Amino acid sequence: MSMGPPAGSPFGGPSASATSAASGLPFAGVPAELADRAKKILDEEPDHGTPAVEFSQSEYAREPFTLRHFLGPKRAQIGLAVALVVVETLALQAGPLLTQIGVDRAILPKNTGLLMTVVAIYFAAIIVNTVMARVRILFTGRLGEDMMRDLRIRVFSHMQRQGLDYYTGEKSGRLLTRMTSDIDALTALFQDGLVNLFVQMLTLAVITVVLLFLNPMLAVITLLIVLPAMGLLTMWFKSRSEVGYARVRDRIADVLADLSESLAGMRVISAHNRRAHNIINHDNVVGDYREANLYASKVGAVYGPSSEFVGVIGQAALLAIGGRMVVNGTLSVGELFAFLLYLTNFFAPIQQLVQLYNSYQQGQSAVHKLRQLLATSPSVPESPHASVLRDLEGRIEFDRVTFGYKPDDPVLHDISFVVEPGETIAVVGPTGAGKSTVAKLVTRFYDPQYGAVRLDGVNIKDVTIESLRSQLGVVPQEPFLFNGTIADNVRFARDSASDADVLEACQRVGLGDLVARLPDGIDSLVHERGSSLSSGERQLLALARAFMSRPRVLLLDEATSNLDLQSETMIERALDVVLEGRTAIIIAHRLATAQRADRIAVIDEGRLIEFGTHEELLELGGYFASMHESWQLATSIGDDA
Amino acid sequence: MPDATTEFEPVFEPVAVEARFDPPLADVDPDPEKGWLRRVLPVVLARPVSFFGPITVALIARVLQVALPAVIRAAIDNALVAKTESIDRYVVMFVVLGSLSAFLTFIYRFGMYRNAFHIDSDLRTLLYRHLTSLSFSFYDKTQSGQIISRANSDIRSVQLFLTFGPLMAMTMTMFVVAFTFMMSIHIPLALVAVAPLPGVFFLGTRLRNEIFPLSWITQGRVADVATIVDENINGVRVVRSFAGEKDQIVKLAKAATALRWSALRTVKAQAQYNPVIENLPRLGQLFVLGYGGWLVINDDLTPGTLFAFLTYVTMLQAPFRMLGFFLMMGQRAKASAERIYEILDESPVVVDRPGAANLANATGHVVFDDVTFGYSSDAKILDGFSLEVAAGEVVAIVGRTGSGKSTIGRLLPRFYDLDNGAIRIDGNDIRDLTLVSLRHAVGSVADDPFLFSVSLADNIAYGRPGASREEVVAAAKAAQAHDFIEALPGGYDEVVGERGYTLSGGQRQRIAIARALLADPAVLILDDATSAIDVHVEERIHHGMTERLAGRTVLVIAHRLSTIALADRVVLLDGGRAIATGTHQELMDNEPRYREVLDTVEDDTRDDAGGVQ
Repeated sequence: MSMGPPAGSPFGGPSASATSAASGLPFAGVPAELADRAKKILDEEPDHGTPAVEFSQSEYAREPFTLRHFLGPKRAQIGLAVALVVVETLALQAGPLLTQIGVDRAILPKNTGLLMTVVAIYFAAIIVNTVMARVRILFTGRLGEDMMRDLRIRVFSHMQRQGLDYYTGEKSGRLLTRMTSDIDALTALFQDGLVNLFVQMLTLAVITVVLLFLNPMLAVITLLIVLPAMGLLTMWFKSRSEVGYARVRDRIADVLADLSESLAGMRVISAHNRRAHNIINHDNVVGDYREANLYASKVGAVYGPSSEFVGVIGQAALLAIGGRMVVNGTLSVGELFAFLLYLTNFFAPIQQLVQLYNSYQQGQSAVHKLRQLLATSPSVPESPHASVLRDLEGRIEFDRVTFGYKPDDPVLHDISFVVEPGETIAVVGPTGAGKSTVAKLVTRFYDPQYGAVRLDGVNIKDVTIESLRSQLGVVPQEPFLFNGTIADNVRFARDSASDADVLEACQRVGLGDLVARLPDGIDSLVHERGSSLSSGERQLLALARAFMSRPRVLLLDEATSNLDLQSETMIERALDVVLEGRTAIIIAHRLATAQRADRIAVIDEGRLIEFGTHEELLELGGYFASMHESWQLATSIGDDA
Repeated sequence: MPDATTEFEPVFEPVAVEARFDPPLADVDPDPEKGWLRRVLPVVLARPVSFFGPITVALIARVLQVALPAVIRAAIDNALVAKTESIDRYVVMFVVLGSLSAFLTFIYRFGMYRNAFHIDSDLRTLLYRHLTSLSFSFYDKTQSGQIISRANSDIRSVQLFLTFGPLMAMTMTMFVVAFTFMMSIHIPLALVAVAPLPGVFFLGTRLRNEIFPLSWITQGRVADVATIVDENINGVRVVRSFAGEKDQIVKLAKAATALRWSALRTVKAQAQYNPVIENLPRLGQLFVLGYGGWLVINDDLTPGTLFAFLTYVTMLQAPFRMLGFFLMMGQRAKASAERIYEILDESPVVVDRPGAANLANATGHVVFDDVTFGYSSDAKILDGFSLEVAAGEVVAIVGRTGSGKSTIGRLLPRFYDLDNGAIRIDGNDIRDLTLVSLRHAVGSVADDPFLFSVSLADNIAYGRPGASREEVVAAAKAAQAHDFIEALPGGYDEVVGERGYTLSGGQRQRIAIARALLADPAVLILDDATSAIDVHVEERIHHGMTERLAGRTVLVIAHRLSTIALADRVVLLDGGRAIATGTHQELMDNEPRYREVLDTVEDDTRDDAGGVQ
């Protein structure tokens, strides 16, 4: 059976929209019936090229991010937009006034020539409004989109300056929303919000002035009837419908959760004769969803007719009071026309202003959150005078290093050791002893509180972060793969690598068979977080990535700890290739890994307690020797933990 | 025929939940030849009063709306210009008609929404009913994500159209009434007044043709930006390690530039069409003012009529605005309905035969008679498999990976139908029995059991939702699950999968065994059901089961020697048929192929620590 639209779509490579299309989420890919038109539009898209990006670790805008600062540089453009909006609104609201003039001065006095003049002016107003509106939409649209694009890049760049601690803190879960919902809220504010706010307030003002000019008393009566009633009604609607739609969202989530679990467990449901029970249960969940919908739609069904009713009362008041004035001769028929026509124009601005107030609030809170993000100073700052680290020999020196993730709770105490160029050392010790921290200090993920880490005799705090890290290769415990192809992931380390280089790197670490087996070779997608590769293969890919960067210094953080025996053997073999001739620090979880190192450092409770070759440490009969003994005992009964 | 019509009719499909809402009243027309709208019509018309009531009310409300400008017209002409009548009469009339119109509008809108949401929930529950009736073979080949998108966005798009349809019809009616009224007053002026309005429809359609695909594209690009940011948060270590910051910023800048382009395309389309669409009705008013004014000057028209026409132009633009939207929704609804029908038209493969009897009080005597079966027609998994299991016997089925062991366990509860041969329980061909009574008598536990995100107690009582807590605890004890359940913070009320509590594989298996024990079947199939459980615990489970399952038939599909050892008899499976049978010792002594198979399966003996991870 063919099930609907093909998931693959011509929308620019392996994008999130394509991947989520397969999972059938809402807004997942373009629906089949729109696909042709979407393709036609995309065919017109120019190649945007590679955007020029300025990025400096140490130099960036430090003034606080406020709406005023954000809009400040665009003052001239905003002024122009305001001018456009004023002309547009005046041209728009001229209609009823021109009708009044036409009726009172031309039609009733039977002046055909003047009527034609009024019609011509009316036509001109329509043309002016059309043209101005068009220019204004284009102008503010472009202005807003440019600012949003720049803001996205600015916020993201600042995120890139932050150290690891920023991402492991409590609030890291909400970091994504800074770049999504907060910027979306600002986009909404700039695209529609601010302009609309101005348009609607101007409209209200213009209409009020015209009405006051035509007949002050009638104007005041009209405003008193319509403004408070519509304002209150709209505020009521806003708060009720928010409650209602929140409820609808919760209930539909329940419906979908029940459905998706039922689908996943359908075999169990059939096997346990749970059909009848689950059907009633689903009926109940769907019924609750319907009730929530009914509540929300009742609010909507009340709001529309109620504002209609306010309009009826307003028009009736105009007829009763204005009509009497016409009979008395204090108001002309044309003026009554204008009042009745302007009354209709009153509703939209009031309704919209209430909505816009909300959007303004959301925008302000987004500005506030983004201000906090942009004001966060990086925990590992690059010195403004940092020099470029020259090509490394590979000598690593820890000089009396003391470090803690929290300054008053040191993880490493007064650690000193030297790794000679080309030497491999293994760091072993119990869990939580601070082994991984050693590697994190070499890459300068963190700065030590005391002491210094030196590469080839240079304190790593004095060199640029890029020149430092580009000469280091890191293989983390949990390999993280980016959305994209195998080649994209390997190339992460060296952008300029050719396909042949990538293939060679894969083959060298033992991924040759896998690549040969996959239909698209190195261009096969790895899917989100590498779910289609085994954990061994993912780790090998991370190794290929490290290999590709051709680092002088390699840091392996328990790279084999989560693997089964077979994958581990593959990794060990790959390591021999990768380590050749390089300085390396291996954070080892298993003693088998430690044995291949030239020297072994034993860390316990944050202190370097033993350091030497395998034989030396065994001879020493200390901590390592006893670890080794119990390990040998364990392997002999077939358990390698 | 089986002798199943005993006086006592057991409940095969227990229900322990109270229905709080009515089930759907009608089904979708099953005839795939009919058009999509006709097929859904029974559901739409299932509540005739709810459907036709609001439509009738809407009709009245629309006519009243058209009458309102006519009242103002009469007021202006009679009370203000000719001054022959008092304005008060008209004011009262206006307020009465206007209030009534507003009130009726509320009534019909709410009525229409209510009916639409009933249709929506009917479609959802009908689809769910159908999904639960479909056979395993359907789920083998279908992704659940696809079904969920049909059950969600497609049903919504059909429901939107069905809500909007009557509303659209009513708006059209209003147009006809108002336009007829205008024509009755002055035909040329009526034509001139509405002349620009079709443009609203045409330009609106063109705008939507651009904007709808664009909004999907833009959504996708927003998601692309979010993905990059998400990856940079989760993969921050890699980005920092390889000094990839600048490359990532370039990547984001690219995505943000692409997003800017599609957003600007949308802005461009709006700038091109929206101002014109907004100004077309004003052009109509301009025509009315010019031409109508000229008519008033020549005494061919009253000033009140001029005003009424100005109002009608604004009122009449609505149908033209809605029409294009409506047509587009119609297209989408059609496509969506067809995707929904695709599921509804899928018929269940394994169904009750007409006149199928209930299997009651089964003893558990099972016969596989020359069974041939494959999941697809070109690959036979079982090929002439025969086996007789006496009631109360424990039989282990042993074979290499892919020999068809697990398939045997799936055929007995009739998850799939055979290609050839027969399976009999207590002498009845399983195809002559009702599915519910057969599955009531046959329980099975798979090696990777599925647990629902309800409490552990509810999971154990899945097959008997009304079971008491004592019964649940007893089953859990027999399956050696009681102790670890008690150790969880919520005990038996702990919800699986919540707050990071994920059970280990062995724990899940024990819950699944407890679930099967509580259902108390006559025949129990254990398909590698203890594969992740520690050998010692496994032994205790078997011990607990033996007590509860005394006299029950048990089919053990086994990998491990410890499991096989518990069987009365072992059957060796190869090439889709039983090639040898006997006790474990007999086969070890006389059957070299048995020893070979055991050698290959012994490797993957795994142990389970059994703790909460």
